[in-house]
Amino acid sequence: MQLAVNIVVLAAIYALISCGYVLIYRVSRVLNLAHGELMLVGAYLLYSTASLLGGNPLTAVAMAAVLGLLVGVLVYVLLMRRMTGEMVLAAVLCTIALGVMLRGATVLIWSAQVRHPMEALGWSNPSLVLFGDARISLISAILIGATAVVYAALFGFLGFTRWGIRMRAAGQNPLLASQRGIQLHGVYALAWGLSTFTAGLAGMLISLDSSLDGTMTMIGLKAFPAALVGGLDSLAGALIGSAIIAIAEVLLIQFVNPLLSDVVPFFVLLAVLVIRPWGLFGSKEELDRV
Amino acid sequence: MPRKYAPLIAALLTIALAPGVMAQDAYVVGLSGALTGPQAGTYAPIMESVKLYVDQLNRRGGVNARPVHLVVQDNQGEPSKAAADAKKFISQDNVILIISASVSSTYAPMAAEAKRGGIPLVYTMVCPTAVFPPKPDELQFCTGPSSGNHDGPMGVQFIKEQSRDPVRLGVVAMAIPLSRGVADSAEETAKSLGMTVVDKQIIPPPTPDYTPYASKLKSAEPNWVYATAPWVTEVKTVEALRKLGWNGKYLAIALAPTEDDMVRLKDGELYAVSANAFFHDDLPVHKEIRDAAGKANLAYPVTHLADGWIAGMVLEQALKNTSWPPTAEKVLAAMNGLKVDTKGLRGKPIEWTKTNHFRTEQYYRFYRWDSAKQSIVPAKENWATVDVK
Repeated sequence: MQLAVNIVVLAAIYALISCGYVLIYRVSRVLNLAHGELMLVGAYLLYSTASLLGGNPLTAVAMAAVLGLLVGVLVYVLLMRRMTGEMVLAAVLCTIALGVMLRGATVLIWSAQVRHPMEALGWSNPSLVLFGDARISLISAILIGATAVVYAALFGFLGFTRWGIRMRAAGQNPLLASQRGIQLHGVYALAWGLSTFTAGLAGMLISLDSSLDGTMTMIGLKAFPAALVGGLDSLAGALIGSAIIAIAEVLLIQFVNPLLSDVVPFFVLLAVLVIRPWGLFGSKEELDRV
Repeated sequence: MPRKYAPLIAALLTIALAPGVMAQDAYVVGLSGALTGPQAGTYAPIMESVKLYVDQLNRRGGVNARPVHLVVQDNQGEPSKAAADAKKFISQDNVILIISASVSSTYAPMAAEAKRGGIPLVYTMVCPTAVFPPKPDELQFCTGPSSGNHDGPMGVQFIKEQSRDPVRLGVVAMAIPLSRGVADSAEETAKSLGMTVVDKQIIPPPTPDYTPYASKLKSAEPNWVYATAPWVTEVKTVEALRKLGWNGKYLAIALAPTEDDMVRLKDGELYAVSANAFFHDDLPVHKEIRDAAGKANLAYPVTHLADGWIAGMVLEQALKNTSWPPTAEKVLAAMNGLKVDTKGLRGKPIEWTKTNHFRTEQYYRFYRWDSAKQSIVPAKENWATVDVK
């Protein structure tokens, strides 16, 4: 039973991170390689708001979430907007530079010291006993719930709301969408905002469950294979890809060798790319464009 | 060129040449470390502490009435950058000594550059085999707390002493060479002492969730766990074990954040083995560090500063024994006959000879969290010692 809980928690972590990769790619064809760094920024924002507003933890969390969204919008407005019309490769390189800059900035602002936002909020993270004597931490349970809510909201948003439909249209054919009067910059800015919001949310919850330090950026990178396995332009694919990677990782830790857990996401990725290069649920034509 | 610019150019030239002019009258020492990058949490405080020590030293009049000029470079824990730093120190800055505060993967390229330039190199955290007796590398020295040869056996010996019941030992390490080496030596010692090693978890660096590793470990039912890894891995593993309801005893190798985390966790079954005296011992030297840190605007807590402070003490003594004008050869000669009293930060003085660039005895102090006193207390009254042969 504990094994199943471990798989669900890890899958939820990967899914929450990888949906941000998918959102940006789906709308603008850009691989955001600064996603891990944006996770880190989100977590540090929570640490800062928690330190400032320790007496009002809910306000601190809400403020950090809003700031995370704003950071994403700012990244687009100040940086990625200038990449519009340029080669996709240039935009991807731009995100790499952004990542390097954010890593440096976080050390300058918050130092490299390990931080504990949970302590700053004055909360605790008790262990919940489930059936079959399995256990889960409260924050891990919240993370699973948050992932479910985020995916449900994203499916609803993209499928039924005006801005969601505009986002899909911009992703499918930006020129046509633009000619039909869709404000592409607004759509892209919203996609960056939402992607950074989900990345920040993942960063906040991971740091609340354990701690916060610069290695979080590498966790962001570990979720990248999950998005690729599922198909970079498919939200459902990101969910399935995350589940596949999590199952492989946890089973290898339990039954084979924990060391293999580090390479298995990339092994699964290679296996999927050989059979179906556009991912399990990705669109073939999207890959051709890349 | 208009004459009106002459004063400006003169001023700029003065500013540009000032460090060089200053350096001519100073002991010039290079400090390269992971000030940023994934491992900065461990190494940046050491750099900050060395700088703090040197600032204090200069404020007191320097060494032999000369200032110490520290040239600081950030290698981000990357071997290529560390090599470039060493090259710059030697070719541009004319340093007489290089101090490294970085991950072990930067050691080989730095040592190669130091060898090319004939400059002594001092490590401040993990001590490589090149510094151990009987035939250390002639240019490499170490003030760091960790000894791959002794940490594991000493930790396991402590567990044996503490246990009345048969020990079922779990071992935790990170997938990096030194950590795995210590875990292997701990496992061997445990077996030789009649313990049962029930599981060994080698955890890869950055892991989003430590619970799967902790689950595997818990399922082996250890009553003791010995952890030897970067602190983040050690502490996240024990936290994951506790969330799973494991109530056994956990001994971890202490690093800079350990003291603060023991206070945060308040875990009565958490033990730490440290080569440095904790600040909870409240020695006069701890007060000295606290006072110095209080006057400076530091990014890290005072509990993170011991290893850098010790490196500063060693640097001061080495330079004291180096007559003016200093050369790398003179520094090397001074370092080959060095004895530094660490004022209790370590169990005994650091002593270097031509055949031993580590120390003649390695000392360990054991601590635990006392739930009744709500404080960190020694888990063993005296320092435990081992001869370094």
